[in-house]
Amino acid sequence: MRKILPLVKKELAVFFNSPAAYVLGAAFIIFMSVWFFFLLRFPARNIASLRGYFEVIPIVFIILIPALTMRGWAEERKLGTAELLLTLPYTEVHLVVAKFLGPFFFLCILMGLTLPLPLTVLPLGHFETGEIVGEYTGILLLGAAALSIGQFASVLSTNQVSSFLLGAGALIFFTLVHYAGELSGIPSFLGSLLRYLSLEYHFDSFRKGVLDTRDIVYFLFICALFQYLTVKTLVIRKWS
Amino acid sequence: MIEAENLGKSYGDFTAVKDVTFSVRPGEIVGLLGPNGAGKTSIMKILTGYHFPSRGRAVVGGYDVEKDPVRVKAAVGYLPESSPVYGEFSVEEYLGFVAAARGIAPDSRDRALAAAIRECGLEKMRRRTISKLSKGYRQRTGLAQAIIHNPAILILDEPTAGLDPNQIAEVRRLIRKMGNEKTVILSTHILQEVEALCDRILILNEGLIAAGGTRDEIAAQIKGGQQYELVIKSEKFLSREDLAGIPGLTGVGDFQPLPGEGEPSGGGGFKLYEARVSLEAGAEGGDVLFDWALAKGYRLRALTKQRYSLEALFARFTEAGGAS
Repeated sequence: MRKILPLVKKELAVFFNSPAAYVLGAAFIIFMSVWFFFLLRFPARNIASLRGYFEVIPIVFIILIPALTMRGWAEERKLGTAELLLTLPYTEVHLVVAKFLGPFFFLCILMGLTLPLPLTVLPLGHFETGEIVGEYTGILLLGAAALSIGQFASVLSTNQVSSFLLGAGALIFFTLVHYAGELSGIPSFLGSLLRYLSLEYHFDSFRKGVLDTRDIVYFLFICALFQYLTVKTLVIRKWS
Repeated sequence: MIEAENLGKSYGDFTAVKDVTFSVRPGEIVGLLGPNGAGKTSIMKILTGYHFPSRGRAVVGGYDVEKDPVRVKAAVGYLPESSPVYGEFSVEEYLGFVAAARGIAPDSRDRALAAAIRECGLEKMRRRTISKLSKGYRQRTGLAQAIIHNPAILILDEPTAGLDPNQIAEVRRLIRKMGNEKTVILSTHILQEVEALCDRILILNEGLIAAGGTRDEIAAQIKGGQQYELVIKSEKFLSREDLAGIPGLTGVGDFQPLPGEGEPSGGGGFKLYEARVSLEAGAEGGDVLFDWALAKGYRLRALTKQRYSLEALFARFTEAGGAS
């Protein structure tokens, strides 16, 4: 872990050196605030729960996460800096984990910046702190899984635009796939399989403040799976 | 230091490197010379652990590139072709990142950074954003990146491509300096570069080593290895056929009497003839020619060994199917 610290720092520095990242961050915060006060009409609902607030997160992530990961491998490959990175004394696993942790920390910072919203309303009613902790845990797990999917999309792409589109496409699929399971005429085993695949479906219980091991395992599995696929892609590329 | 055995690399159907075997001794500067697409870059990518070979094996700094890529990468400093850099960082930030990623301890990092910056003449550019640097300084930043961990082996892919003549001279000076203590492999298609820098040359063509060695060794590998230019002083008329008796002769090039230098008459008069002959490699051609002339009763006014220019060698070995 100490070993990859320079790589993680570099990934973060890329964000903080890029005006686009600030614009993206600001847009995210502004959207969440607008959603909170206007679209959700939070004050008018008179319910001491943030469930509705977090409902929108999986949809927002479909845009936000690919925007964070689109640079990833795609830009490194285009600029040729991937060659520098891959000839530093690291294994592919190190590089992929670092490329995951960089955007993940950036996402943590963004989510940290949304905290003031719930915190300001906290004294106004009887909120359950457990629920809010659960919701934030769920968001970070969902974010981690989505970032891994995004990184895999970027390793398959040769430029940022296709990286973004591929990532967003994959996230749309993984977020909304459980709706397909609800279509009539779908066998029930297939329905539950599709539901099991869905990011949003697993995020749902966190939204209610329930920390279910099965959901945690699911998110960690998605994380590991897509990072593994990214590593494999890099290794296969050394052979071909 | 570097051993490549029957190395081959294919990308799908395309074979970039067919079968290449060579070794580089510690402290040598070896130039990979060849036209574009000869396989230079592919070989370097294998030696730096960036790609795995499709066939054969390579050992760099004592480690197999396939079995121990991380150790190979640690031992090597690499300047990729066209010197990619992270444009948004300053020179200092970028080199700091490489130093940290190369595992240089934090307390010696500043020293390593300062040394690399000094070596590459980047003092004035330390805080400049890399994307705003000129091509020459960018190249130097790439070089600084390659030497920051003081590697025993440097692999430089076209280190002077795209630079102006002053910058080229500067970069060559740097490479020569580093070559004093490091093993260096560099690739180029500029002939003067290997001439100016390298102890040994490997001429590559279509994924094979067409010739290897010092310039003279390569010249000797050409069929009819030695070429001499003679000026023969003879009292008799000479013709091309008279040269046929030279032992080991493989060809006679130009042959002509020198104008305005007397007439052979048999009685004190003489004539000078200019000839260009090729002899087979092996016996020292100068001695052979001298002995031949003495036996025939000619005198030699001039006997000059012709050195092949690198251009000629390069052309010989790299024109279509030209490997002899």
